[in-house]
Amino acid sequence: MVLDKRLAELRDRIQQLSPAKAHERLVAGAVLIDVRDPGELAQGMPAGAHALSRDELEMRIDQLAPPEAPVMLICASGPRSLLAADTLARLGYEQVAVVTGGMQRWKREGLPCTRPEGIDDDGAERYARQLNLPEIGIEGQAKLADARVLLVGAGGLGSPAALYLAAAGIGTIGLVDDDRVDRSNLHRQVVHRDDRVGTPKTDSARATLEALNPNIDVRTHQVRLNSDNVEEIFSNYRIIVDGSDNFPTRYLVNDACIRLGLPNVYGAVQRFEGRVSVFAAGGRPCYRCLFSEPPDPEFAPSCSEAGVLGVVPGVIGLLQALEVIKLATGVGEPLIGRLLLFDALGTRMRELALGPDPGCRYCADDREFPGYVDYAEFCSGRASQDLETND
Amino acid sequence: MIKIELPDALRSLAGGAREIAVEAGSVSEALDELGRLYPEARLRILTRGGQVRPHVNLFVRERDIRAHDGLNTVLEDGDSLLVVPSVAGG
Repeated sequence: MVLDKRLAELRDRIQQLSPAKAHERLVAGAVLIDVRDPGELAQGMPAGAHALSRDELEMRIDQLAPPEAPVMLICASGPRSLLAADTLARLGYEQVAVVTGGMQRWKREGLPCTRPEGIDDDGAERYARQLNLPEIGIEGQAKLADARVLLVGAGGLGSPAALYLAAAGIGTIGLVDDDRVDRSNLHRQVVHRDDRVGTPKTDSARATLEALNPNIDVRTHQVRLNSDNVEEIFSNYRIIVDGSDNFPTRYLVNDACIRLGLPNVYGAVQRFEGRVSVFAAGGRPCYRCLFSEPPDPEFAPSCSEAGVLGVVPGVIGLLQALEVIKLATGVGEPLIGRLLLFDALGTRMRELALGPDPGCRYCADDREFPGYVDYAEFCSGRASQDLETND
Repeated sequence: MIKIELPDALRSLAGGAREIAVEAGSVSEALDELGRLYPEARLRILTRGGQVRPHVNLFVRERDIRAHDGLNTVLEDGDSLLVVPSVAGG
């Protein structure tokens, strides 16, 4: 009711133009500002209009028009442009008008529309809800489309991460895994399906991701990651997600990320617990600052016997996806220098501070890369077979 | 009283307990107390020579003890010592 009264009052004192009249003035050189959110703009805006959301209006209006210039405002159907016009009037703009019926009427009358660069019809619809977030917007969506993210392991962590990264519009997603889908994977590896048991995980995951979002590029590497191929594969990507399930691969991922200057989005799970962190490009800290060496075989938990509740890698994998999106868009505060622990039984999250190890052989200042290490026997000495899988 | 918080992976070596309460004035003393009660649990954290294993981290007041004073880090009544070993599962 308060808003209705306010809008009625504004309609009485702010000039209103039909879309056709506003278009005439626009063609004649007047300034038209679309005050809708980025997600709405992606659906189309008046050709020749400037995009300036209400949040930015006061800060940036003088870049588009001086106070003595006539300014027209448009929103979806009218109310927001009236409120924006009031804002401009308070700033001293004397010739402010709004477009009656807003963009809805503009389109209905067949007046020319355009779409901001970097988004097509499918993207405007698919990503509408995250385009609406000012922190993402069209610019952030374009960054996601440009992102090249490699998932090491298409298993418990890689599955949820891959699904949400594909859905979010990460432009290039790589998958490294040499394993095949097993029925015992399916309680947690949700990118696979029962009818794909026995097929390569990379192929299975790609089929799911492409079905979810056909507009991204999914690349598969059906190999076991090793010191001979790691740099060739990693060098095609800008962010690495460690979803592996064995120590040799985890140290290989860390060391290659340090060598190539790539961020490592780390996650690990066991039984009812998980942890996640981001080791920035160049480390300091890196995974080796946290755990300088893998455990001796007699102290390593058995990979095949430890077990895990399926939801736990789901939670951790999604947190990894979140960190990837933040790294790719520059939004928020990445989990760098922090280790997040998740206790599923207590439903608790706990954040620990991580610092660089000044003696780290891989990322400490002025260290030369010492080479890759071939960690042989793990998982209580039974692992040469277990280690070859990324499940 | 100090609380030693054990990870899931080590609880089976400490009678299934998530937390062990001990009287100790330092991290080293707390782990000695743990060893007196559960020798195998201590052995998963410290080498026989008494050094923290490279795949284990210990946290006091949410910071790595390496950022405090290592095994000599002083513990005060009510502090907790969190044991975080490396796990590889994915």
